[in-house]
Parts: sequence; structure tokens; C-alpha cells
Amino acid sequence: MRPDTWRMFVDPTILRFFGSGLMETISLSLAAIVLSFVIALVFAFGRLSKRPWIRWPSIAYIEGIRALPVLLLIVYFGIKGSALFRPVFGPEFELSRYWAGVLGLSLYTSAVLAEIIRAGIVSLPRGQTEASRALGLSHAQSMRHIILPQALRLMVPAMMAQLTTIIKDTSLVGTIGVFELVRQGRVVYTQFFNPIEVFLFVAAIYFVICFALSQASRRLEVGYTPKAARAKIREVQLRDQAA
Amino acid sequence: MGIIGEFSELYLFPNGLFITIQLAITSLLGSLVLGTVIALFRIAPLVPLRWLGGGYVEFFRNTPLLVQLFFLYFATPYIGIYLGEPDTFGFRAAALGLTLYHAAYVAEIVRGGLLAVDKGQIEAARSLGLTYLGMLREVQLPQTFRAVIPPLGNIGIALVKNTSLAATIGVADLLFAGDIVESRTFRAEEAYAAVAILYLSLTIPLGILVNYLEKRMLVAR
Repeated sequence: MRPDTWRMFVDPTILRFFGSGLMETISLSLAAIVLSFVIALVFAFGRLSKRPWIRWPSIAYIEGIRALPVLLLIVYFGIKGSALFRPVFGPEFELSRYWAGVLGLSLYTSAVLAEIIRAGIVSLPRGQTEASRALGLSHAQSMRHIILPQALRLMVPAMMAQLTTIIKDTSLVGTIGVFELVRQGRVVYTQFFNPIEVFLFVAAIYFVICFALSQASRRLEVGYTPKAARAKIREVQLRDQAA
Repeated sequence: MGIIGEFSELYLFPNGLFITIQLAITSLLGSLVLGTVIALFRIAPLVPLRWLGGGYVEFFRNTPLLVQLFFLYFATPYIGIYLGEPDTFGFRAAALGLTLYHAAYVAEIVRGGLLAVDKGQIEAARSLGLTYLGMLREVQLPQTFRAVIPPLGNIGIALVKNTSLAATIGVADLLFAGDIVESRTFRAEEAYAAVAILYLSLTIPLGILVNYLEKRMLVAR
């Protein structure tokens, strides 16, 4: 480690370079969590459906995608994303690498979130559904007005925890050529030959964001989520938070 | 390229699968040992040890695995840490990185198991004259291991999936095999479908095993 290699981290040009990577990382994670939440809602209800022709494909999607590495999905969309959407958007369509990354991340996260949402819905007392049905609400109405608002509130801490996982996973999108934080770091260190300093710096940025988020999620969880729901959600997360 | 040419690439998949399994088993064993040690640090009666364990867990859980792998692969030669010859270097860096990362998760689970052991037993063992380490070995750890097997299985599944990151530092694992086949034959669908099926053939049986163990533990309790 050379002493002069640390000085670059106060250089505004270098900092701006890292800043643009950080912006890309944050925008990737936010896009991915929004998109994956929408997909997750569909599959969570699909899995809870009484009709087998809806239930079984949903189970296959959730369990299949959850069992795959995220990197595989990202690399696949990075290479084949454009060809995949050409039948829909016309022959000239090019999927940008950014959206290929978002798609890969969201697909994986949607399977995890679907399980978390399902755990939230299942852990609500049955009396809630029964009472709302007895009051004359249809199944869809009782879901929309009674069950879902409560289940979603239970899940806020879990979703925040999942956001930290997404932020960490955005580092993988750098491998298909999106210039997020890690990729910017690689550019810098191949210029200055200081991988130690650069990766420590990058790790520190990730640490500050993810630590703050996970601490906040833990704080919220304690006052927020009943024990039964917490145990169920924990179980889902265990398999995926490490990813 | 004819059909024979394409088939001649197929040997890459079993080779990659073998490397992936090797990497997963090595890092799983490593992270079980290291994770247990860190969990013991986290519940140790000495405060500095607890801080050390807590710091380790928080650091490795809140930074991306990819950054850790890149650090081990690109930065260790600059510090003068020798991980192996060029042909084994990538594998060792990947195994070390996966071990360090998953040890943090293993530590959290084992710590939960250690804290779940009835306090009266610990106090009884201590008052019968066992040393702290003797009590750990004879009373606290044996009861922990049984309870934590299903959650550790979940970490094992995550680990198998995470071995794919080794491809980014040039380890010829399953995903790497898929990349090579794709770049030689331009058949992304077939190449990545094969990779996906091979990953599923590892993770889905593991998932079924974990579910089975969870159910059995519930009955046993």
C-alpha cells in the first residue's frame, strides 16, 4: 500500500466519478424493487389461488427462480434481452444493459418478495378473512380492503431488508457493462493501480448504506411485526438474504 | 460450425459442475467452522471479543460478495498475500471469499441457537465445576447443532447459488462453462438453459432436504 494513493479520494473529479457510479447503483436498486414488487404481488396471489391452473405455474415460477443464481439471470438478459423482446417491440428493439440488469434483478427479487408477501398474508388471523366475507365483501374486495393493507404493513421491515440485498446484488450488474459503483471502482484502479484502496473505499460506501438500512429495518421489525409473522418471513429471507 | 462441433463443447458442463460442487463443499465446511468460532466470539463473556464478532458479522453481511471477491483476487497480490500459483489462485480466492462471506450468516444462525439453550443448564454446568470452555463443549454446543441444521441448510443453498460469482474472477465453474459455450456456439438459450438445469439439479434437491429436516425437527420438539 503506497501512502500517496489515498490522496485521490479527496480529488473532486474522482469523487464525482464514484458519485455517478453510486447514483447508478441506487437507481438500479430502486427500479428493481418497484418492478419486482409488482411482479411479486401477481405471483403471491397466484400461489394462494384456489384454481390449480393458476396455483401450479405460480409455484413453479417462485421455486424455480429462487433456486437459480441471480448472476445467471443477469448475464442471460445481458446477452439475450434484446432478442427476447423483439417479437413484442419490433425488430429494431435494443434492450439497454441497464434495463437488462434491472430485469434480471427484479425477476429474482420478485420470487423472494412473493414468498414474503404470501407469508404476510398467511400469518394474518383467519378471522379477518372470515369476518369480511361474512359482511358480504367478495373475495377480491376483502383482499383489497382488509387483508392486503394489513399484510403489506407487516412486510415493510422485510422489504427494507430485501432492499439491502438488492443494493448488494446491483454489484453483479457491473459484469454486463453497467457502470455502477463496483465497475467504476475497477475503472479507477486500472488507472491508478491501487485496488486495495479502491475496493476498501467501495466496500465502505456499500457498508454505510446497507448497515443503515438493515439497522432501520431491525428497529422497525421489533415494534411492528407479530412474532409468528416474523418467524415465517425470517425463514424466507434466510435463503435469499445471503444471495 | 456443424453439429459435431457444438457437441464437442459439452465436456465443459460436467467439468464446470464438478468445480462448482468442489467450491461449494470447500466453502461450506470452511464457513461452518469459521462461523461457529465467530458465534462463540459474539456470546463470549469478554466484551472486546463480542465487539470483534459483531464487527465481523456486520461488515461481511453489509458489503457485496463481489467486492469481497474482487478484493481477494485483485488486491491481495499488492499486499503480498500469496494465495497460490496462477492456475489455483482464482479457485482459492473464490473459496476464501465465499467462506468469509457465508461465515457471517452461519455465525448469526449459530448464535441464535446458542442463545436458545436454557440458561439454567449453563448455570448448572458451571456450578458443577465445568470451565467455560468445558461447558460450551459438553452442554451448549451439542444442543445448538441439532437445532440449527435446517437454517444452515438454507445457507448451503444460498452458497451453491453464490458460487456462480466465482466465474467473474475467472474460475471455470458452471456459469463460466455456459459463458464459454455461448461465446463459441452463439446459442445462448441452449447454453444457459443447460446451466440453469444443472444449478436447479443442485439447489432443488437441497431445498427438499431442508424442508424435510424442518418438518422432522418440528415433530421431534
